[in-house]
Amino acid sequence: MEKAIKKYFPIFLLPTMIAFAIGFIVPFVYGVFLSFCKFTTVTDWKWTGLENYTKIFFVNGKLDTTFLHSLWYTALFTVVSVIIINLISFLIAMALTKGIKGTNLFRTVFFLPNLIGGIVLSYIWLMIFNSALSQFSKTIVSTQWSAFWGLIIVVCWQQIGYMMIIYVAGLQNIPGELIEAAKIDGANTWQLLRHVTLPMLMPTITICSFLTLTNGFKLFDQNLALTGGNPGRMSELLALNIYNTMYGTTGWQGVGQAKAVIFFILVAVIAIVQNKLTTSKEVQE
Amino acid sequence: MKKKIVSALLVAAMAVTTFAGCGDNGGNGTTQAGGKADKTASGKVYMLNFKPETDEAWKALAETYTDQTGVEVNILTAADGQYNTTLQSEMSKSDMPTIFTVGNTTAAQTWNDYTYDLKDTDLYNHLTDKSLVINYDNKVAGVANCYECYGIIFNKTILEGYCGMDGAVVKSVDEINNFDTLKKVADDINSRVDEINEALGTDLTEAFASAGLDDGSSWRFSGHLANMPLYYEFKDDGCDLTAGEAEITGKYLDNFKNVWDMYVSDSAADPKTLNSGALNAESEFGMGEAVFYQNGDWEYANLTNPDNGYTVTAEDLSMMPIYFGVDDANEGLCVGTENYWAVNKKAPQEDIDATLEFLNWVITSDEGRDAITNQMGLTAPFDTFTGDYETKNAFAQASNKLMSDGKTSVAWSFNATPNVDDWRKDVVAPLTAYSAGTGSWDDVVTAFVDGWANQWKLAHEGEE
Repeated sequence: MEKAIKKYFPIFLLPTMIAFAIGFIVPFVYGVFLSFCKFTTVTDWKWTGLENYTKIFFVNGKLDTTFLHSLWYTALFTVVSVIIINLISFLIAMALTKGIKGTNLFRTVFFLPNLIGGIVLSYIWLMIFNSALSQFSKTIVSTQWSAFWGLIIVVCWQQIGYMMIIYVAGLQNIPGELIEAAKIDGANTWQLLRHVTLPMLMPTITICSFLTLTNGFKLFDQNLALTGGNPGRMSELLALNIYNTMYGTTGWQGVGQAKAVIFFILVAVIAIVQNKLTTSKEVQE
Repeated sequence: MKKKIVSALLVAAMAVTTFAGCGDNGGNGTTQAGGKADKTASGKVYMLNFKPETDEAWKALAETYTDQTGVEVNILTAADGQYNTTLQSEMSKSDMPTIFTVGNTTAAQTWNDYTYDLKDTDLYNHLTDKSLVINYDNKVAGVANCYECYGIIFNKTILEGYCGMDGAVVKSVDEINNFDTLKKVADDINSRVDEINEALGTDLTEAFASAGLDDGSSWRFSGHLANMPLYYEFKDDGCDLTAGEAEITGKYLDNFKNVWDMYVSDSAADPKTLNSGALNAESEFGMGEAVFYQNGDWEYANLTNPDNGYTVTAEDLSMMPIYFGVDDANEGLCVGTENYWAVNKKAPQEDIDATLEFLNWVITSDEGRDAITNQMGLTAPFDTFTGDYETKNAFAQASNKLMSDGKTSVAWSFNATPNVDDWRKDVVAPLTAYSAGTGSWDDVVTAFVDGWANQWKLAHEGEE
């Protein structure tokens, strides 16, 4: 049996590989190729070399900071959202694994926001924010910082429940005898958390921080619906910036594509580094 | 055994979903009307429609045409705001649209390789106003399929009632024929709202409907109101009114400021939260809370649609020019369009022929004219639309009346805006700050003038 599998595995892999190639590899390679071209439709292109990449930073011979602004704004947004989401969802998960009454109900309720799509969610929050802020003659897009915190609140509200479920699963996987043994040895709550729970939870932390990190970088729906990049382009995260370049600026489809390539490299590098960092802290059972 | 059945079912389900995508050749939402009458007709027509509200009417019309001639006509309508995205993907297919919509010169530039010269077609010959085309690269790249007008919509009934009151600034609506008078009237109405409500039994809260600066409404100002300073400047400089020029000086921006200040101060909306997205100017006007509302004739259908529950009726509605303080005596409504038909040059010749024939049929046959005027509610710029096929839109009628009174219609100069979305975004931001009191007017001027030159260079790169 095993021999047969070894012999024929390419045949079994073939359908998946074809699907993967059509759905992922081909568009990806083609997309990278297009970032070096000027094109109107994807089948109608003209090679222009690195021109698209220089246009990202230099417009009409002057330094253009729109993309750089989006870059650091997105980076900051990601850092803040990763910290807040992971911290809060971990705390909630801790609370909900203590066996308090109504645990299941709470888990369901916290998870529910995740079932609503980003656009709908953001429009609902937009109404809430603006009716609250109108008391102070402000709107969510009054400044880039009100937009920033608005986005943080929406994204946290949406993702905390999801990450909480993963943390709950992770916490439940920690063997009871380990904790019992630590307690018998006289570990207090803090020591228990620091030296038993957290190390055992490292695989979960890897997953959750990876998910929140990439979600933060890729955020689009909420950005589009909640702030639309306003005021000006000050709250435009990278994904929206790329989208607007692609469809908003005449003849800049190639530049949008070039931005997307940079975006991909960035997300890939950061995700790999993050994965390495957190995986190295995981303990082997 | 059970497991085997389950897995077999799963495999079957997977196979179905995999192949489901392939069978649907025409794409979702297209009308596959062809094929039953005459297989010999060689060309076929594929129209990518711009206006979602006209989708059904176009599909019905396409079916009628196929029944009569056997020529296959497909209609695909792009979702609202998704036209460019849809067009881009449809154009990449081998079965590409033969008719598509270009909105302005910039779009004609983008699609320059695809636009067929419509100069010698029946479509062009039937145009009543030959300026309703896009000329680009020495060809007629697009022919308007409808034209629209905008200005200041006003509630005739309330305004006439106000004129009859003691202490009114004017005694008749006709006296409002310049900016200064309009401003005095608006200021007066806004400050005497309670008094007017008591005297006329109205529900006014303001003179002007709110000037929302959210993305859903800011185009009324960064596009339509901004058209006024652009138009007068282009006119002074003697350049093509809808093609524009590379650099502008913004010499009429003070007038723009005056009108904008009037919109903001004579409205009940808080100037600090104009960008909240919570304002609904249409409903304010529709519910009789406002007397004036800057918008276009496309609002006629919304305001008179009984489903919307508005209190205004067709008899209340009329429109006046946006008096700008430059040439108010001769100024008419802003008349133009952002809907030009373009025919795809890259389609096979027999498809191009079939397409031109179809378009000609649309504007000359009874079915086509009826669909355009009565079902889609458009005002068509062709000489075939007479008698029963004339517009019923009160605003379009107002526009026609002003034209026959010898007023000069204001051209849609904003069609020349380079990188429309970017430029407008850059203007709206300082305009919002200025209205909220956190920014200065100079920033608006900078965004308007410098932004124009900047975007122009980008958009017209590589041209000589």
